[in-house]
Amino acid sequence: MHGRVKVRTTEEEKARKERERQEKLKIFKYAMQKIQSKRKSSELDKELLELTGKVLSSNPDIYTLWNIRRDILNIFRKNNEADESLSQMFDAELHLTEYCLKINPKSYCAWHQREWVLTTRTDPDWSTELSLCNTYLKLDSRNFHTWDYRRFVVSQCKPPLKVEFDFTTDKLLEDFSNYSAWHYRSKMLVELYPDLEGGRPIEDSHHKHELKMVQSAAFTDPDDTSAWFYQRWLLGAVKTTIRLVTYVIAPKKATFAFSKHVDLSFVRSKTFLLINNQEIVGEWYSCTGNMYDVLWVFKHWASITDALDIKVMYENNDGIKEEILSSKCSNSPYIGRTEIDFERKYSAPVVEELNNQLEACRQLLELEPDSKWTLLTTTVFLHCINSRLNYKEVMENLKTLKNVDKLRAGYYSDLITKWSVEEQLYSDYKSDNRQFKVRFTETMSSLPHLQYYSFCEEVDLSNQNLSSKVLPSLIVLQHCKKLSLANNKLTSLRYFPILDLEELNLKGNELDKNEIELLKTSKNYNIIY
Amino acid sequence: MSFTTKDVVLKEERPKTLLLQKHSDYLASYGLNKDDYEYCMTEYLRMSGIYWSLTAMELMGQSHRMPKEDIIEFITSCQDSESGGVSASVGHDPHMLYTLSAVQVLAMYNRIDAIDVEGVVRFIKAMQQEDGSFFGDKWGEVDTRFSFCAVMCLSLLQRLDAIDVNKAVDFVLSCMNFDGGFGSKPGSESHAGLIYCCVGTLSICKRMDALHADELAWWLCERQLPSGGLNGRPEKLPDLCYSWFTMYQSTLTIKTYTTQSSLSMLNRIHWVDKKNLEQFILACQDAETGGFSDRPGDITDPFHTLFGLAGLSLLGNPSIKPVNPTYCMPQETIDRLKLEPQILHI
Repeated sequence: MHGRVKVRTTEEEKARKERERQEKLKIFKYAMQKIQSKRKSSELDKELLELTGKVLSSNPDIYTLWNIRRDILNIFRKNNEADESLSQMFDAELHLTEYCLKINPKSYCAWHQREWVLTTRTDPDWSTELSLCNTYLKLDSRNFHTWDYRRFVVSQCKPPLKVEFDFTTDKLLEDFSNYSAWHYRSKMLVELYPDLEGGRPIEDSHHKHELKMVQSAAFTDPDDTSAWFYQRWLLGAVKTTIRLVTYVIAPKKATFAFSKHVDLSFVRSKTFLLINNQEIVGEWYSCTGNMYDVLWVFKHWASITDALDIKVMYENNDGIKEEILSSKCSNSPYIGRTEIDFERKYSAPVVEELNNQLEACRQLLELEPDSKWTLLTTTVFLHCINSRLNYKEVMENLKTLKNVDKLRAGYYSDLITKWSVEEQLYSDYKSDNRQFKVRFTETMSSLPHLQYYSFCEEVDLSNQNLSSKVLPSLIVLQHCKKLSLANNKLTSLRYFPILDLEELNLKGNELDKNEIELLKTSKNYNIIY
Repeated sequence: MSFTTKDVVLKEERPKTLLLQKHSDYLASYGLNKDDYEYCMTEYLRMSGIYWSLTAMELMGQSHRMPKEDIIEFITSCQDSESGGVSASVGHDPHMLYTLSAVQVLAMYNRIDAIDVEGVVRFIKAMQQEDGSFFGDKWGEVDTRFSFCAVMCLSLLQRLDAIDVNKAVDFVLSCMNFDGGFGSKPGSESHAGLIYCCVGTLSICKRMDALHADELAWWLCERQLPSGGLNGRPEKLPDLCYSWFTMYQSTLTIKTYTTQSSLSMLNRIHWVDKKNLEQFILACQDAETGGFSDRPGDITDPFHTLFGLAGLSLLGNPSIKPVNPTYCMPQETIDRLKLEPQILHI
């Protein structure tokens, strides 16, 4: 049972406690029986109100009893009870909930009853409710029920948003580790100060101001995690776009890869295939069969031969139609690719602020080289400011973090993989090679951005650190003929997707022989093991 | 800088091995004494109690120790013929939470026929609001827990088509926060238990793509503390579940298990340290009474016993049957029903 420490007691003490409990139980059972029988015979009166109130005072979570009380109060309302006495009844109900919340400040039932009373009675006093929230938040500044109730009260009495925003500032200045206040602040920040012109979530000067506020919080106590999450969010608050990254038009199959998951209506309304300047009609299928996907297959009936003029029109986020030309080498399909761009687009003042803060972090790091949060923040700053220029330093830091923060080594490994793939993509998209081979030194532990390589006919993922859970991701390799997963950590092939391969290399994995044999009989490609 | 990490210290003499026999004895005898104080005082959540105990027993391969016919008869008697919903116990009112528990139990027993399925569908359908959210019952409390109850329940009944799934998804997504997590309603703070409910809803509705998976999973893996246990929100104590009080109202609000299970659905369970986590869960066992508690040294109960066992199952413990992370039910039940909740590609 939650938070109830087991204490050793003497036999005598035990017996005394048990007697006490049995006594309580008898009273409880009697009351419950009386309540049920009165309810059955529709005696929804003040006596029942009193009975249920008594039981709830020590057991605020018996939801049915609150239901009974609402039924009774509704009857008094409908019977046109005098305003004054009705008002008194509702006041009494509020007192009861307050009493119950003292016993259990997290009782969903009691909080909900309070909301019900306030929205049901004709004379709610919202300012009292708001000050009640203030009092409760002084007692426990992290009770999310109180915060939720506050948002409910605010939605009813509608004080200026700025007043609530300033309330979070006060709370944070009292205690920077109040995550609930950071959370509430994030909601209001984007409403109060959106960047309408630039399309960013937060207007520049406020973006900068918030970053500064995080910095002072973080420097007060670097081990307190609350502010760091807020900071990570601020760093990610940039304009996001969905891009068409690559397409392949082969005689058998045409595919389109996007930077994010998109649905059918998106693909259909934004993407157009033109052959010799003629728009081609066809049908779209997502490669996994899901509603939203990163790779879409376009089924059409045009014949794909040599020497065609093939291009794709894609309408980007700003409503501008980009033309994406295709290139074709001998014996290969038509392939179109757009420019790789993973950089975050901050405004100049924000970049300046980030650089200042990076400098401060570096100084702090000199004093405490093994401080996890300082190291992580330095690393994230470096990546956000210029991921390509700082790539090497970022990788070194992430490797250090794997040791400093061992519990989350898996997270850092996946981050290394993701940012390394991003770095490699810049050069891979400049060459005409249809091969993907890992060229960074750290091993891959997951397969992020794999749809960017959907145009490849040869994919070499050998000598990595891949486990069987990554296998479903391979579905995007719709044009791959030769796939190597040699020397990885595969233990099962259960979720290996259907691919049109010629060769699959599974050497050096701890796979069950029977599973391999089964795969061999069911697939018509060459399996090396 | 007077900051102390909120964490517990594992004692050297803590349980280090899985005490399966003890747990099944504990659950088998739980509630045999109808005058037991705790048992009587928790009548208002009996239906969920049955789900916790039976699922735990199923995972241990010991469900034959539960009184199957009595349970089925009890469930039948708890369905309200008018609304179609199921209550926690006889004499209590129908509610989403207990309707789900009842359907989960009947699904495990393969005895869905024991209730009026059309009634349950009617009840859940009536709870959906214009904005896609769900009430818990006719009194209008809105919470993402109830969205999860609705889609889980209907999918177990193969009747997901009865509600507006797109709207249900949109409502859940409107509860997403700056940290990638979710709260109980739009504007509410992220919390591991509610994240589980929201991720679970998206998993069943096959819309995991809408998550900010890396941000969310990072927040979740930062819940792990040096003891190996996980807390539910930043700067809080670790435990197997959230709170003794709230667990009874929010039968789905649980920390260590929910975080683990969300990470499993996000395919990023390797972002936490499995060995430490296993140690913590094992330390929550009571070697005398059997069962698990919320944190080492506290009193045990069926709720934490289920989530302790389910957590160990997610970590691949070979002596416990595989649990499905979305449904928190045995994988064999989910396979039998041919349900395929979505897991994110990585």
